[in-house]
Amino acid sequence: MNPTQAQLDACVTCGLCLPHCPTFRLTGDEVASPRGRIAAMGAIATGALPSDETYAEMMSFCLGCLACEAACPSLIPYGEMLVGAREQLAKDQPSLAGRLRRLLAGRILNMKWLLALVTSGIGILQKLRVVGFLPKRLRLMRGLRPLRVFPHSVLGVRDHTPAEPAGSVALLAGCVMDEWFPEVHDATRGVLQMAGFQVHSPERQQCCGALAAHEGAGEEARRMAQRNVSAFSGYDYVVADAAGCSAHLKEYNQWAEGGESVAERARDVTEFVAALIDRGLLPTFAEARGPVAMQDPCHLRHGQRITAAPRRLVRAAGYTPVEIDQDGLCCGAAGLYMVYEHETADELGASKAAEIQATGLTTVVSANPGCEIQLRSHLGKGYRIVHPIELYWESLS
Amino acid sequence: MTLVDDLQAILGPDRVLSHPLELLVYAKDAGVTPGEAVAAVLPETTQEVSACLRVAARHGVPVVARGTGTGLSGGAVPDEPALLVVMTRVDPAWEIDAASRCAWVGAGALNLDVSRGIEGLGMHFAPDPSSQAACTIGGNVGTNAGGPHCLAEGTTVVHVLGVEMVTASGDVVVLGSAAPDPIGLDLRGVVVGSEGTLGIVTRVLVKLTENPPAVRTLLLTFDSLRAAAATVSATIAAGIVPAALEMMDQPMVIAVEAFIHADLPVDAAAVLIAEVVGLDEGVDAEAATIERIAVEQGATSVRVAGDDAERELLWKARKNAFGAVAQAAPNYYLHDTVVPRTALADVVTQIYEIAERFELEMMNVFHAGDGNLHPLVAYDAREPGKAEQVQAAAEEMVRVSVAAGGSLTGEHGIGLEKRDLMGLVFSPVDLDAQARLRDAFDPDGLMNPGKILPRGARCYDYGMSALPESEPS
Repeated sequence: MNPTQAQLDACVTCGLCLPHCPTFRLTGDEVASPRGRIAAMGAIATGALPSDETYAEMMSFCLGCLACEAACPSLIPYGEMLVGAREQLAKDQPSLAGRLRRLLAGRILNMKWLLALVTSGIGILQKLRVVGFLPKRLRLMRGLRPLRVFPHSVLGVRDHTPAEPAGSVALLAGCVMDEWFPEVHDATRGVLQMAGFQVHSPERQQCCGALAAHEGAGEEARRMAQRNVSAFSGYDYVVADAAGCSAHLKEYNQWAEGGESVAERARDVTEFVAALIDRGLLPTFAEARGPVAMQDPCHLRHGQRITAAPRRLVRAAGYTPVEIDQDGLCCGAAGLYMVYEHETADELGASKAAEIQATGLTTVVSANPGCEIQLRSHLGKGYRIVHPIELYWESLS
Repeated sequence: MTLVDDLQAILGPDRVLSHPLELLVYAKDAGVTPGEAVAAVLPETTQEVSACLRVAARHGVPVVARGTGTGLSGGAVPDEPALLVVMTRVDPAWEIDAASRCAWVGAGALNLDVSRGIEGLGMHFAPDPSSQAACTIGGNVGTNAGGPHCLAEGTTVVHVLGVEMVTASGDVVVLGSAAPDPIGLDLRGVVVGSEGTLGIVTRVLVKLTENPPAVRTLLLTFDSLRAAAATVSATIAAGIVPAALEMMDQPMVIAVEAFIHADLPVDAAAVLIAEVVGLDEGVDAEAATIERIAVEQGATSVRVAGDDAERELLWKARKNAFGAVAQAAPNYYLHDTVVPRTALADVVTQIYEIAERFELEMMNVFHAGDGNLHPLVAYDAREPGKAEQVQAAAEEMVRVSVAAGGSLTGEHGIGLEKRDLMGLVFSPVDLDAQARLRDAFDPDGLMNPGKILPRGARCYDYGMSALPESEPS
């Protein structure tokens, strides 16, 4: 699945991506830059150099934040190329660490019962207050919301149908969203119902497959996407309340037969609700609740070019959005990256936390679970990290 | 001990790169020609740069300095296998002297980061090449970089008061100072634009320019390139030196619009972006004059940026022009020549004819105000003979520019690209003097060899390699 010659040719090596790349900003090293990675992909794809450990490290070091893609005047589909290169690497160099990562992203996260068990386990550890003693690599544990010891899923939920529904919505349950962020699903369901939508979370759906795709587990990602295409058929919209998931649903045309039908109907909850507010179907409140810091998830800002919608929600909820970073540099979460490249992830997380601390604000708005976990684990106590749909739902109810 | 062992003894294993794949990603800048590095190092301090250069000298290995590799003329691409000294990490704490309006910054600092860093003081670093967000100050010094706003402000050499430089032997020297009238020979001026052939600049004393109180940015649309060019000449003749005066032709506008969605006029034959800065009353008057001149010359529409966001969008459109070309073809060759402003329309017409004769797809985007042309040829290097055709056309474009009273390069530098065309503008005596100056800094010829000066530039080289056959002007 190496990138095609046409994709590789599209890079004119202008270098305008470099300052947007978090790993290049950290290292100053072309090897850790999008342009360098594309050059390396080209050398491997054409057979000029062999696929070796150095190449594998180069591809693994990328966050996949897509900031380069948004900055690229040549419109290079970098994300697609990276995912392809990683899938090829999985075949060419099946390392143990890689296999574990693909197993986690491609299978384990899609096993409801196992995830529920893990969630209960963590819930108990949290109650015993031992999470703080876990090794650094598992820092993400410190960034979790208090988990339920007896988790329950949104799968199969069919919310009360209004007499004349404005439309039907299939809510993506997601993998960790379902177990670890039930409050966000509740808020999404509440707001959409209030706007007159019929909301279902179809039972037969799977994890969206984004993490599997990013880890090079292409086969698993395609299988999940294919099942979701049929699970989501018949609904007017497919809504996800995690930016990484909505970004991936919009690319289903690359992952499943008939996937374009999902891609066309897929919406991030922020853009969906912002449009409803703009159309006057949902109310706005006076901006009197004070300022909150805005953190843009990469897969919302760079992947989907959505920045106005979460701010619209925050304002409508009565808060004033405050910017923390004009470039939208990745916070370092980047899916499983914060586990396997934890040193780099920590550096990026610490600098993002410092930017937030500099504002003096204690409420941070982020529309993606990974970012939320990363921010909380770096900010520690005294900060509230919240999804914009939750803020809006709180104001409504 | 090998070169790599010696370098690792200084920098440790992580900052010395020698794997073929790692060297491959460093083989090129933003231009078209690749080179070969024997190793790449990422020093962090002046002392580390000095130690690396001593090692290279001991091994007799040539040295090439590289910033972020956004250059277009091959200045940072080795002409022969060399040690690449990557300067991106050389950025110690800045010493900002707000009262004297200058600051010592690292060679590895990014141009735009410097301007952003001093934003709070109401100042900026004036040279603003299109690669401004990505290029380093050290690279700006190396190529004497320009940019749209150099029309009124002048190129990098005007904005560099001093440099700290490591010489080929590893010695650290400081050339120039904040003093307004430096004594002795102006070696600072010699270093700016020397493309790493005299040493490696590690820190730069940059002049800081006050942000203008008011800015007006106009987008002027024309149905002929000649009318746009005439507007440029007439504007300057009317006594207005805009902060910037930029032109794009139709193919360029179409390519940029596909990326930027700035509602650019894709139907127009040419557009001009004009910017005037100063006091509120002044900029309004100047903007009105430019608008009047443009309409007289046949402008079909005039749009004034309503706010900062729209202004930034117009500049983003202009500054992303080069990269946007890839939508047309996989490779591009970006030219950089200068012609007298009054000859703009004629030379551009000739350049279109050349492109047509060689059957090349060409777009134009240039600093019209100072006659700095950037014709851009989009092509596919895998087509047999195409690259040679592009080269031949490029040389003709340079020749017509020089024949019209212009010059080889406006701001990209000579590098590898224009080296063999230096004879078009310099006599053997001129070239020999430059070669001797260079020898004085670097007697062993280890600093970025094969750049700027053609082989045979020294008088004693005559007969070994011929200069291009042409009359020096």
